[in-house]
Order: sequence, then C-alpha cells, then structure tokens
Amino acid sequence: MKSQIQVFIILGFIIGCTFASAQPKLSIDIGTGFYEPTLTGFDQNESVQFPTKSLFNRNMMFNWGIYYEFFNNARVGYNSFTSFEIGKNVLLVNSEAAFTRSIKYRMFPIETYFRWKPKIELNFTLSPIWGRARIELDTTPGDKEEDWDFVITSFGGDESQITDMGATDAMLNDWLGYSSLLGLRYYISSRMAIDIKGGFMNNFYNEENWRVQRQKVNGPKMKIDDLPIFSIKFVYGIK
Amino acid sequence: MRILLFIFFLNSFIFCQKNNQEISSSCTDPLIILAQNEGVKAIPLKDMRRFKKLLKQCERDGGEEMMNRLIYNDWQRDYEKAKKMQSWTSTHAMCVFVSFAYYFAGQVLATKPGDS
Repeated sequence: MKSQIQVFIILGFIIGCTFASAQPKLSIDIGTGFYEPTLTGFDQNESVQFPTKSLFNRNMMFNWGIYYEFFNNARVGYNSFTSFEIGKNVLLVNSEAAFTRSIKYRMFPIETYFRWKPKIELNFTLSPIWGRARIELDTTPGDKEEDWDFVITSFGGDESQITDMGATDAMLNDWLGYSSLLGLRYYISSRMAIDIKGGFMNNFYNEENWRVQRQKVNGPKMKIDDLPIFSIKFVYGIK
Repeated sequence: MRILLFIFFLNSFIFCQKNNQEISSSCTDPLIILAQNEGVKAIPLKDMRRFKKLLKQCERDGGEEMMNRLIYNDWQRDYEKAKKMQSWTSTHAMCVFVSFAYYFAGQVLATKPGDS
C-alpha cells in the first residue's frame, strides 16, 4: 500500500496555513486579584519573625493573562495570580537573612462569554490550577567566606578582603487545584476593556510536599483551599 | 487527493492576493477598507498609529460620518457575533454557574463538625 504520510503532512500544512492567515483573536490582560488565605506557618511562627502580614502581602495578587478565542464565544488561555512577600533582616540562627515568599496560582482557563449589551459582556470561567509556592532565603553560610578568601588570595590579593558572603536557596511546593469564576467585562473600545471577575478556587496543597535541593521537607501550614477570589484587570485585544 | 491538493493550493493563491491600488485619499486607504470590512481588530498592531492618523485625516477631509459608521459597525459586528452563545458554550456556562452557586451556597449553609 502506498504511504499517505506525505500527503497528510502537505494537507496539514496547507490547512494550518489557512488557519494561521485567518484573523486570530488574541488578547492580553493585566490587573490585580484579591483573596484571603490563612498562612498560619508564617503568621503564628514562634521561632522565626517573618514580615508582618498586610493587605499587600496577604490579600493582593498580581494578575496577568493571555487568551485566545479558539471557538465562537469561547476563549482558552493562561492566567497567573501571584502573591509576593519580601522581608529583610529576618533573624535566623547564624545570620540575618533576606526572605522572599511567592505563591503562584497558574490557571489554564476555558472561558465562554456572551454580550449582554453592545459594551457589556458576561463571561464564565472554569480552570484547572497548577500552584507553586516558593520560599527563598539569602543566608550567610559559615565556610563560604573562607573558601572565597582562599580563591581571592590565590590570585595574589590580600587576605580577608571580604567580610560577608551570601548564598541563596529556595524551597518549592507544587499542587493542583481548580477554579470557577463569573465575570463582567466592559468594553471601552473594540480593543480595550475592563474585566471584573469573582468566584472561588480550591487548592490541594500539602505542607509535607516541599522540597529543597531535591530533598523532601516540611513546609508552612497554609489554608488555601475553598477560597473566594476576585480580580479586576485591564484587557487589550492584540488582534 | 491530488485534485483536493490542487484546489487548496489554488485557493491559497486566490485569497492571498493583495490589492495594489494607488491610495487616492485617506478615506479609501486599504487600512480603512480593512477596518470597514473585517473590523478594527483586524488591523495589525504595527499599523494602529497610522490607522488613527488616517481616521483623523479622513474626518478632516469630510468623512466624519463615514468614520462614525465604521466605529458603530465595529461595535455592532462584535455585538451581533457574541450576542448568543453557540454550540456547547452555553452548557459550559451552565456548569460554571452551577459550581459557583454550589460553592457559595455551601459557604453559607454548610456546618462544620462540632457546630451546634
């Protein structure tokens, strides 16, 4: 039997080109999300004094996304909510460390919508979540200064030119979850819009699944399941 | 199969042809025509600045009504296209709505173990 693979490749290429040259519906958005997690591991930690909780490091999230309209009244895309926390001089056993904590909720939404009025759209989003938390510490390890001093001296320099060294390591945790959102979008022009969404997300976070340098460790207790979430963002249609 | 391939190739050439007519005025610029026919979103981002200049120029040249119609038609085109959900999209919307309602009803009505 004669091979049809080449024919299918050529046919696929032509059909692909036909889609590629058609008008894509690509949009990007940027905004803010709001939620209320309970980060017990940080807030009620008696050994380490983490930065004090505030609206910015607990309830607000940076939000950006990119969507593609793949079907009539339906979009698919990527949407990321990130919560940051930064602290300097966190007192540890041997050093005052710089501390960074981020929690990223990476969503892969399918969104359907319809225009209620010419300028107003209602949209409905279902989304799986791939969450990732990251705790980064910039500490002062004991032997590092001596090692670097040794190397610098080997180049012909004076001894003890450096008095302080730092090393950065991070612990990570990944989990899965899902989210459901209802939204309202107001079109300022045919390309620009303001989008407000509200809903919930559920994350299957496990504090025993953290890892540092491929070693499994325990992490902070965080209640990030069953959370109401709101977002407001600016949308720009690229094409 | 060869005939099918030939038809695809032929169509690609036919629909890829560009109009090389001379630009007579700002109101008949190919960008304006493109916006009239396929909407403002069809204009590439790199040409947006030029398109806005053309809009203003055309308004100055007496085409204000034409430009207003272009923008109105653009709104109407989007509105008519997205007024109703199609195919499975309404089912998806209903799923979202049900999960949303179920979650928030649970938040209000559910009791935790130990609650009286």
